Amino acid sequence: MDPRGPTDPAPRRSYRWLWLLVAGLPGLAFVSPLFGPTAIPAGVVLQVLGHELTGGLLFPNPCAGASLPDSCSTYFVIVWQIRVPAVLLAIGVGAALGISGGTLQGLFRNPLADPFLLGISSGGTLGAVIVFVFFIGSPQVTAALPLFAFAGALATGLVMLAVARSRVGSVETLLLAGVGLSSLLSSIVAFLLIYNRQASTQITDWLLGSVAGGTWPEVGITFLVLLAVSFLLLLHSRELNLIQLGNDVAQSVGVDPSRVRVRLILLASLATATAVAFAGIIGFVGLVAPHVIRRLVAVDYRAVLAGSLVVGAVFLLAAWDIDLFFAELPIGIFTAFVGVPFFLAILFRRSERSTMGGG
Amino acid sequence: MALNDSRATARPSRTAVSLTWLAVTAIVCAGGAAGATALFYSLTPAAAGATCAGGATAGNLSLTDDLGRCVTVPFDPARVAVLSPSIMDTVYRLGLRAHVVAVDCYATALGGLYDDYSSDQVALWNLTPSMCVQVAPVFTLEDLANATPDLVLASTIVSQTAVAQIGSVLGLPVVMLQPPDLEGILRDVTLLAEIFGVATNATILNSQLSVELANASAARATFSTTPSVLVTYSVDSNGYWTYGAGTFGTSLVTLAGATSISATNSNPYPELPAETVLADNPAIVVYGTGFGLNESYYTTAPDWSSLPAVQGGHVYGIDSNYLTEPDPSMILDGLPALLAIFHP
Amino acid sequence: MTGDEPLALEVRDLVVRFGSRAALVGVSFRVRAGEFVALVGPNGSGKTTLLRTALGFLQPSEGHARIFGDRVEELTPLERARRVAWVPQDEPMRDNVPLLDYVAYGRYAHRGMLEGESVGDRRLALRLLDEVGLGARAADGVLSVSGGERQRAILARALAQEPRLLLLDEPTTHLDIGHQLDLLGRVRALSRSRGVTVVAALHDLNLAARFAGRLVVLSHGRRVADGPPTEVLSEDLLARVWGVSADLERDRRTGLPYLVPHQITVTAPRTFPSPFVGPVHVVGGGGAAAPILRGLSEQGYRVTAGALHLLDSDAEVAEALGIPSAIESPFAPLGPEVRVQHRTLLAAARAIVIAPFAVGPSNLANLEDLLPYVSQVPTLLVRLPPIAERDFTGGRAEAIVAELRAAGARNVDDLTGVLAALRAELAVSPSAAGVPPPAPA
Repeated sequence: MDPRGPTDPAPRRSYRWLWLLVAGLPGLAFVSPLFGPTAIPAGVVLQVLGHELTGGLLFPNPCAGASLPDSCSTYFVIVWQIRVPAVLLAIGVGAALGISGGTLQGLFRNPLADPFLLGISSGGTLGAVIVFVFFIGSPQVTAALPLFAFAGALATGLVMLAVARSRVGSVETLLLAGVGLSSLLSSIVAFLLIYNRQASTQITDWLLGSVAGGTWPEVGITFLVLLAVSFLLLLHSRELNLIQLGNDVAQSVGVDPSRVRVRLILLASLATATAVAFAGIIGFVGLVAPHVIRRLVAVDYRAVLAGSLVVGAVFLLAAWDIDLFFAELPIGIFTAFVGVPFFLAILFRRSERSTMGGG
Repeated sequence: MALNDSRATARPSRTAVSLTWLAVTAIVCAGGAAGATALFYSLTPAAAGATCAGGATAGNLSLTDDLGRCVTVPFDPARVAVLSPSIMDTVYRLGLRAHVVAVDCYATALGGLYDDYSSDQVALWNLTPSMCVQVAPVFTLEDLANATPDLVLASTIVSQTAVAQIGSVLGLPVVMLQPPDLEGILRDVTLLAEIFGVATNATILNSQLSVELANASAARATFSTTPSVLVTYSVDSNGYWTYGAGTFGTSLVTLAGATSISATNSNPYPELPAETVLADNPAIVVYGTGFGLNESYYTTAPDWSSLPAVQGGHVYGIDSNYLTEPDPSMILDGLPALLAIFHP
Repeated sequence: MTGDEPLALEVRDLVVRFGSRAALVGVSFRVRAGEFVALVGPNGSGKTTLLRTALGFLQPSEGHARIFGDRVEELTPLERARRVAWVPQDEPMRDNVPLLDYVAYGRYAHRGMLEGESVGDRRLALRLLDEVGLGARAADGVLSVSGGERQRAILARALAQEPRLLLLDEPTTHLDIGHQLDLLGRVRALSRSRGVTVVAALHDLNLAARFAGRLVVLSHGRRVADGPPTEVLSEDLLARVWGVSADLERDRRTGLPYLVPHQITVTAPRTFPSPFVGPVHVVGGGGAAAPILRGLSEQGYRVTAGALHLLDSDAEVAEALGIPSAIESPFAPLGPEVRVQHRTLLAAARAIVIAPFAVGPSNLANLEDLLPYVSQVPTLLVRLPPIAERDFTGGRAEAIVAELRAAGARNVDDLTGVLAALRAELAVSPSAAGVPPPAPA
């Protein structure tokens, strides 16, 4: 028997990539409000950004002068009330999905795990559908949608938590329970939608995921949750490293795997539920982000978690910008368009290196 | 002994960390809940119906729309966004085309203006792609902002989330026009006329509508038979998509002196399996046209040619808009067209 | 701590059940601090279960295990990890974590949640890597090093916990004999230098006898013997517990007992001796040559083999088939005497077959001695599994194999290839020599 098992001649990894992404994020975030269906002079966009970001100290209000009297206030609203919140929501949601994906891939020791693995998307969808089916037409729908989606997503996460806490809660059981629960919830959703065509037209954009409707309060809540959850998740990166060596080894080194599992599922569900509540179902980000870091930067979960956060944010923001170039379609469509070629490139880069012997 | 030292220092810090962990989690949950609740209330429009006094104050007008929302709108707004083809029909017939600065569209890549409006409508109402506000698959608030309307008229093709954002982000009043029944079409005519101060036009239009409805009722009394009808707007390999109870399609067929075979179906838009249609044996088949659909499309339905109505040549096409868009055109054009089919 | 040092490990009346099956039935024993105890017993006797219970992975249905005086289930995972460390058979590694990071993982129980790894942790990890002979490879990934090195890294990671008790569960299963000796030697040395108590489950009695001061023998979940190897190991015990009839001999250098099992069943006895075909010499070791030895014998070839170690399964098969072989005593590097014997056999051979054996420092001479003969007689090199995967000499074996190839050794895939090539090379078909053709496989 080959004692080394399937050898992985370790493609050269470097933190350079991570710093590149960290540096790229603010830059990309800053140019993103330049794009949109309305042609707004770049100067005006930058002036608005400068004015608002410095609290009006450095740049004068571009609409105060007489140069652009009519359309200027419209541009102001478009840039500051519509484009900037969408950009920030893309960043927040991408980061939340990225770090959840990194966490769950580590927790389940499964490279195919993603934030929706635990049935969280189906739970959120059910919550959203319930709103449209039972409260359609009521003025509360708008506020109820994120609340119900959040509640549905988190409730599913909590059910999975109960499974994880139970005696039978092995990693495999949890995976299977997640898949099973997901299917059940999807069936309920399909059943409800078949009898409510009006609800199904209302929910299309939600199902395909969209950050287009991002508002400042949503951005605020997303970042609040993201900040707290990321901090707590990063504290658990050493446990994740140990869990990679198997439950027994982790336990022998002092980790309490069942306790860690409960915490991580709770935190990942919280982050995912928040993303789902405000942006609907956006796939692929949470699946890919951790892999990018593992291939390019490091396999250490301290790097994987922090990196997935950044990659998720950059990735979704890039998808959003490309989305704006084409037309404003649900962003969930573009994550795969952007992600798959990039993903394949990374995979091929790796196999090329392994034939070279790596090093 | 080094071992004991590290134990002594590690233990209390770990307890403290556990407490911190709990505390932070609690704060996050509490903060999240508080934020969500605040969002709930901040986005909830003013309470509906009863408290909407109505009447005008200083160039403004308070009214209750079709969803029971109390909305304060500017009187006779110069710039109005019309986010539904059915509202556009009413607005045009009231002579308000000049006020329209924006209309609903699908994503440009997916059909744009022509996905929501027939080419006849585009020509008649002089709509241009520059007026487009993308309402689906994602609502593009920026399009609407750029059109700088004073008032937005919308139906439920605009998602309720988007409606709320139009109010909260752009600060624009949105009047939802979604008539629940044929009578509601006349009420919406009145409502629009009130906003724009065109009462005379509304009276004329509503009397035309009333006459058409009365004619149909009168004619129905004279019919000795009410033929059974299959009204389908789409088909696939399983059967025929049609209108169930409580839809405009079904009401219109009934009013035109026929009985839809799906009139009592509790699902508003049921798909009838081919064998159900064969068993019900409708005397007449009516199919929806427009948006590229014609009779050859419907012949692909299962057992199409076995239907006695098809064999007997009792097959008629009608513009789908007449059956689905709750607007004056439904009554003025759709109803007579159906009457002519059922009782030539 | 008052008065006497508490026992490192105390197991009392331990009963562990899996469903209705009892894996341990009332096992009791004590391990004093500083001892090196080997748990031995046949497969399924409860060695692993006992260790896992002592680590708190399994809950006993009766009885308990104490570690330095405290019941294991009453310790928090962190307290436990600071007292006892575990070296498993193998770890399911997925990621190519650098060895230094990997060893530093062992510091987990010594760090609070908000503390990162300290400089001291890295320094300790580096020192441990040095001590297990991997200091120069600290930056290499765990998947990039060989099996023996990896097992040493696991040992270093366990020692990074600064445990007072080290539990090893068949740590040498996947290692060749050279690395088995190396690893256990290091465990013994480190346990002495650091005062760590060691309890190791070992399935190889000879290894256990060589390293442990005391053997605890388990059979069907019961403790059946306990004491120093010289007292415990007896032919009677081997027959009773393992069902093996064996000769117990004494190593002429160490004086320790080693056993030579002689009950080997051979399915195909030699029925067609073929005087026409001169001897085919097979170089092997570790069981790699066994199928070839059997196959050639069955086909009626005269076979010689070498150089093998006495307890090796190839040596056992050779002996059972009556194949003349050059044999070295167990565990030792090939000595000059045996190498002379081996060269004699090589010189007499009409053809040479090189079995795909694992090459370590102790048997590298097997390959080196081949070189002069390869150009003289047809030589077949069984190619699979590839040499790179069974080279534990840091590439030297691979280099020699390349030389052998250059000198004329022919690659074949497996036994079928060997037989076909021999038939062609020696221009004598077994059937022509009066042997019926082999039954279709």
